[in-house]
Amino acid sequence: MKNRLKVLRAERDWSQQDLAERLQVSRQSVNAIETDKYDPSLPLAFRIADLFGLSIEDIFLKD
Amino acid sequence: MSMNPAQRRYIRHMIALSIAYILAVMVASALIPDGAAATPLTIGIALVPALATSGFIWAMARYVADLGDEYVRMLEIRKMLVATGMTLALASGWGILELFTDVPRVPLFFVFPVWCLGLAVGSLVNRVTIGDAGPCA
Repeated sequence: MKNRLKVLRAERDWSQQDLAERLQVSRQSVNAIETDKYDPSLPLAFRIADLFGLSIEDIFLKD
Repeated sequence: MSMNPAQRRYIRHMIALSIAYILAVMVASALIPDGAAATPLTIGIALVPALATSGFIWAMARYVADLGDEYVRMLEIRKMLVATGMTLALASGWGILELFTDVPRVPLFFVFPVWCLGLAVGSLVNRVTIGDAGPCA
């Protein structure tokens, strides 16, 4: 599933490690989500959305 | 990949269990002569190392349950699925060969070591299919 995570992270000048620490996941998880190799669970998707103050649909896009 | 608390705990468990396993095998080797009859005593002594191998399996299950990172957990479970599939395929394939031919009998003892080797194959599968081998466990 495509997503805007990399763009949103760059807008805040966060590294993958910064975002990983905020989400309490590994940097590898952030990288896998950003590169569309892994779709996060609904709870993690909500945590990501909450962190950026957006809805899930604003971050994760239909293929 | 830096180690998370679950991985550190897993490593500690595996080191302790490995030491217990080696000691148990040494004690069993010293107490049970080669070709000993299967009596309650020899069986009891010989099963002590099996407690350690069961401990390995418990430690792996606890590790997966304790992993808070869902992506890393997925990588680990994929590795275990590959290992399980590979072990079942090899064991059943060789078992059929043993039924129909005079190939050497392979002791069941080797099932668990083969499964552990399967974890390495699982890492390779993760690397090829996802681009991320996952932590070494």
